[in-house]
Amino acid sequence: MSEREILKVEDVSKTFQVKAGGVTAVDSVSFTANKGEVTTIVGPSGSGKTTLLYVVGSLEKPESGEITVSGQDILDPGTDLVRYRRKNVGFVFQFFNLIPALTALENVMLPMDLAGVPLEQQRKRASELLDRMEVGGRLLKARPNKMSGGENQRVAIARALANDPDVILADEPTGNLDTATGKTVIDILTGLAGENGNCVIIVTHDESIIGVSNRAFHMTDGRLSEIGA
Amino acid sequence: MRSFHRGFRSFRRNYARNLIVVVLLFVCLTFSMSMLAVKLAADNQVDKIKQTVGNYGEIKVSSDYQMKQFQAERQKSAAERAAEARSMTPEQELANRTQDLVPETMTDKFSKAAYIKTYDKVLSARVQVTGLTNTNLQKLFQLRESGPQEQEAGPMGNLNQNTFFFQGNTNGASASDFTTGAKKLVQGKLFTYDDYKNANPVVVIEKNLADQNNLKIGDTVEAQVSGQTGVGSYMELKITGIYETVQAEQQNQSTSAGVMANFNPAGNSFYAPTSVVQKLNTTPGYVSLGSYYFGSVGDTAALNRAFKTEVGSTKKYEFATDLSDYQAIADPLLKARNTSVIGLAGALGACALIILLAMVIIVSGRTRELGVLKAIGSTDRQVIVQYAFEVLCICLVAVIMAMGATALIGQSMGNWLLPKSQKTSQQSSMEGGPGGPMRMFNPNSLYKEGSQFSLGASSQKQQAAKLNVVYRGSLFLYGILILVGISLVGMAIPVFWIIRLRPARVLSME
Repeated sequence: MSEREILKVEDVSKTFQVKAGGVTAVDSVSFTANKGEVTTIVGPSGSGKTTLLYVVGSLEKPESGEITVSGQDILDPGTDLVRYRRKNVGFVFQFFNLIPALTALENVMLPMDLAGVPLEQQRKRASELLDRMEVGGRLLKARPNKMSGGENQRVAIARALANDPDVILADEPTGNLDTATGKTVIDILTGLAGENGNCVIIVTHDESIIGVSNRAFHMTDGRLSEIGA
Repeated sequence: MRSFHRGFRSFRRNYARNLIVVVLLFVCLTFSMSMLAVKLAADNQVDKIKQTVGNYGEIKVSSDYQMKQFQAERQKSAAERAAEARSMTPEQELANRTQDLVPETMTDKFSKAAYIKTYDKVLSARVQVTGLTNTNLQKLFQLRESGPQEQEAGPMGNLNQNTFFFQGNTNGASASDFTTGAKKLVQGKLFTYDDYKNANPVVVIEKNLADQNNLKIGDTVEAQVSGQTGVGSYMELKITGIYETVQAEQQNQSTSAGVMANFNPAGNSFYAPTSVVQKLNTTPGYVSLGSYYFGSVGDTAALNRAFKTEVGSTKKYEFATDLSDYQAIADPLLKARNTSVIGLAGALGACALIILLAMVIIVSGRTRELGVLKAIGSTDRQVIVQYAFEVLCICLVAVIMAMGATALIGQSMGNWLLPKSQKTSQQSSMEGGPGGPMRMFNPNSLYKEGSQFSLGASSQKQQAAKLNVVYRGSLFLYGILILVGISLVGMAIPVFWIIRLRPARVLSME
């Protein structure tokens, strides 16, 4: 494992049981991702990209394989997965998934609140992050339904960064945005890798994103293959 | 603490949706708490009634037996009665005098029965008092002399204008006329239990009678011992107390002038120790009745059994209780209480259903939010506490509003639930029931209600006719219990949902 390698996925499989039998969403997938790099996984709908992302984010439990994040085996029964999700990963979703009852600022403060960060510290960091995402002024107190898609997604990215995670897991982050806004969001995510040193993993069906990533994989029927390898 | 804060924030921010649930809950809770208030009020009033009604009984000669005796006497002419009296042996005379009385041995024995709390022996007798005129009887005799039936002496043949009603008991302070407040001592003192035990010749007389005859405390009056003549047939009675008749006073105040203002039949009653009245009546060892207070109405059946065991199959004596009075007063309250309990159960069931359905709708509508919370690092406990607190806030607002509304409509609910027949029973009791002016001539009336012009039972029935739904501390405590109960029911859905929820599934849904 190199010094920059932060995520290692080895021979991971995930099968869902349906009426017709088992459907293998992730089939013996192995890959690594480094700090400060953007890794893109592209593939058609239903190819298993999102499942792979959720497995890495510990929202799904694979049947087999090994996943190591920052040297921590997240499939070890002794691992505190809630703590892992708070400290090590940040999620960015296609539909933003902000809490509708909370303002932009409160949405960003929420992960810190759950982690027990003092209130003033939460407020300060959330303001900084939103400022960095160019969401400020009146938007700080705006609720998600009062903001545009791009603004919502920037708030979602700020929320993902709240606890300063090692890995940002972005699931179709541009899927619900127009091209221009989508490009801005991708720029922000790539900027995070470059400036913050985060490991950004983007799952998308938009192959144009491959061009801005350090490594790219193609996923079909649960199997992963590196593009240009 | 932060979870509570998040729950409260969520409650405030989702106000429109929560308001609908609050309003629905408020309606049902108001109904529940009003029913609860009615139940508590009815329970409280029934408990109070139990302390004064339904816990009294007396052993006396049965009204059936008295009626038969009365009819048998009426068959005889005055001459036959006189002849019969002349031919009686002393034993027959005693038997004749005591035919309407109860042996003290019987009342004494019954006083040792379980549940009996107090015991008194009462003897009423007509006694001739030399030199004093019974104004009531004087008027009656004047009416009889001017009426068409002047020839018919009837059962009142042995009365004259010097005849007074003596009521004896073992302690003047416990005489029912004084305990009901119909009469009050204004001078001197009432006789005591020691006076009864020692048969001290003392008497308490009425104020108007004392004024008219210049009698005062320490003076004596001379009473004739019944059935005796000659030297030693008179007893000097020392006046120890003078009483006032409260009802007669009220009449005087409300009537400007005339016959009614001076009509004071209660003034012709004397109060003396039972042992003294026994001597005056020449009925040693006999009393009109044994008067008992027992624990509560619940003991009535056991005491009836004890009485039957004591007297056997004879129908001469009866153990008369105020059970029917208790039932007349308490039954409508109990009916209202039972109805309120049914209403309470139904309304609480509706509350539980509302909060359950509301939480199903709320939680299912916020499934994605739950998934996000878990995905960004919330523990199940944190999410559960947050939602639980939100439910608690909904229920708390509804309960507080319902408590306020209950204070406003509780009394109306009570009036609505109180059976209408209650008012009718109250009116009948005021017109001629126990305690009314006809009390003296009603063989079914009880000593505890007092003699004439008693204020006791009728005023009590008046009080019972209204269900006083007052706001009690216990209602507040029950309100908290209901709050906790429905909150827990409401929390069941989020808890179940949150534990089962898999964020990956929720977040995958579009």
